[in-house]
Amino acid sequence: MSRAFQALAIPATAGIGLRSPHISEMLTRRPAAGWLEVHAENYMGDGAGVEALERLRHIYPLSVHGVGLSLGSAQGLDRDHLERLRKVCERFQPDLVSEHLAWSVADGAYLNDLLPLRYDEEALAIVARNVETVQDTLKRQVLIENLSAYLAFADSSVNEAEFLTELVAKTGCGLLLDVNNVHVSAHNLQYDARAFIDALPADSIGEIHLAGHAINQVGADTVLIDDHGSRVPPVVWTLYHHAISRLGPRPTLIEWDTDVPVLDVLLGEAMWADMLSASIMFNRKQAARQAATAKPRPISTLLSFESDMRSGMPVLAAFAAVKAGQAMPAAMPPVEGGYHAAA
Amino acid sequence: MLPLEHLQTTMARSVLAMEPAVTAKMLTAGKADPLARLRIYQNNTRSSLTAVLMAVFPVTVRLVDERFFRFVASEFIRWHPPVESRLARYGAGFPRFLKTIDTLSDMPVVAETARLEWAIAEVLDAASLPSRTLAEYDNTDLGPSPDILLQPSLRLIVSHWSILSVWMAHQPETAVDQHSAWTRRPERVALWRSGESVRLVLLDRANFAFRHSLKHGLGLEHATARALALDPAFDLLSALVRLFGDGLVTDVRIPAHPLSNRWR
Repeated sequence: MSRAFQALAIPATAGIGLRSPHISEMLTRRPAAGWLEVHAENYMGDGAGVEALERLRHIYPLSVHGVGLSLGSAQGLDRDHLERLRKVCERFQPDLVSEHLAWSVADGAYLNDLLPLRYDEEALAIVARNVETVQDTLKRQVLIENLSAYLAFADSSVNEAEFLTELVAKTGCGLLLDVNNVHVSAHNLQYDARAFIDALPADSIGEIHLAGHAINQVGADTVLIDDHGSRVPPVVWTLYHHAISRLGPRPTLIEWDTDVPVLDVLLGEAMWADMLSASIMFNRKQAARQAATAKPRPISTLLSFESDMRSGMPVLAAFAAVKAGQAMPAAMPPVEGGYHAAA
Repeated sequence: MLPLEHLQTTMARSVLAMEPAVTAKMLTAGKADPLARLRIYQNNTRSSLTAVLMAVFPVTVRLVDERFFRFVASEFIRWHPPVESRLARYGAGFPRFLKTIDTLSDMPVVAETARLEWAIAEVLDAASLPSRTLAEYDNTDLGPSPDILLQPSLRLIVSHWSILSVWMAHQPETAVDQHSAWTRRPERVALWRSGESVRLVLLDRANFAFRHSLKHGLGLEHATARALALDPAFDLLSALVRLFGDGLVTDVRIPAHPLSNRWR
């Protein structure tokens, strides 16, 4: 069934993932949250949560984030599931729709996890065909999210960033940059997280995800687990700082899926994301003004604040780095124009 | 190099701990052992789907102990993984699977209670339409056998075991009396969604048959005849008042094709 919702555009500020323990508080308190994101699969039925989301949709801009389309499945898309996603989009009219560069269905089984692809020509053709099918069905662009991975396939011929870049070129899809996923995968598979971000086509990045992860020690192997069960850690704030410095402000989501805290913790994390983004942009403008009137200063070495764990608010370390590294933004090109999420 | 579909099938079987397994030379994980990393995916799949089943079958968990439930759930996941990504639909086959577990063969009430819990999960995911009142039809001639449309969330379950009593005795706030509710006594349960919660009521044979017939679109005349056949003292007026009072009636209509109401 289709309802007429007022178009609410997602701003280039922070939002939160809507989780069931917070729904009634969101409805009664209506806190200031830039926008909401929901998992599409939680709203494909007709339960009370669906009715609540219809009410929240009148208040907050909405992003629909799919976790079950399995865009990387060689066996093709589940057309019934795609139709259910289409109905969710028709029902709630979200401003953004996103899915993952991953597969979770094979051999007739849905594994309820996001598995990595072998990044090669065959996979690119399959994912591109599936993404085009989704975009044709939904009659809109979708954003594709980079994966958190614990292993990779030996026969991959390109890396994930190159694969995503090709996918954008082939399909016109956008990208959802999950900064926590970049850090988790870069650590687990030992590559450079910043280089990964820098390799992506900046104009295609329509949304950013931030979350926490767990650190597991298995023998000599320290593996990061993408559990979305804690505050955004300093190292992810650092990478977010790098991303925003390169991209400019983007809609940024605080994800929290396990051990979900009280709503105010999520709203607080969203506020820090907004303040960090605003601080970066303010310092960049100030540095650009100074550069226009004075001799350029030598570019300082980027400060590492990843080890500053003493503060109860990890993001404060990021602010300290922004302040200390004010020379850095002067070297960055100015970000021109505003950001349009649904562009 | 395997075609991608073959590779994904092999990988999926490995994640479900089935043969043939993916080999280490197909994978990389930096300096780590890729097969050890594969176990992360195995654990993610098993633990997340076990959590889904524990959320749907909390009373069953209490009945059999959490450790045993986790063991059974892990076997169920291995042999019956979800076939679709809408996890609200995962678990429909779990009560039947419980019946195949030897350890539970002398406790059929466990699988029967799980059947009730699955119905509750279905009810919570079903639509709740605006209900009608009896007064709305005061001046309407609906003919001798109108169609009475009921809430789509209504489920009707009959069991040889006292499943509702067991379910109620094992709610979190209830002190469990291990000997009170495990009786072989037929119970007929109606359940439907009311806002964010589920209403569950016990029905007698006649009222169960009455609601069952209406739910399946057989019309008022047929529903009444079935109820009277089971209990000549069946009180139609009381049954209708209760049906409307429970908020179960969403519409009353004159059937477009009256013959379609006939039992065939």
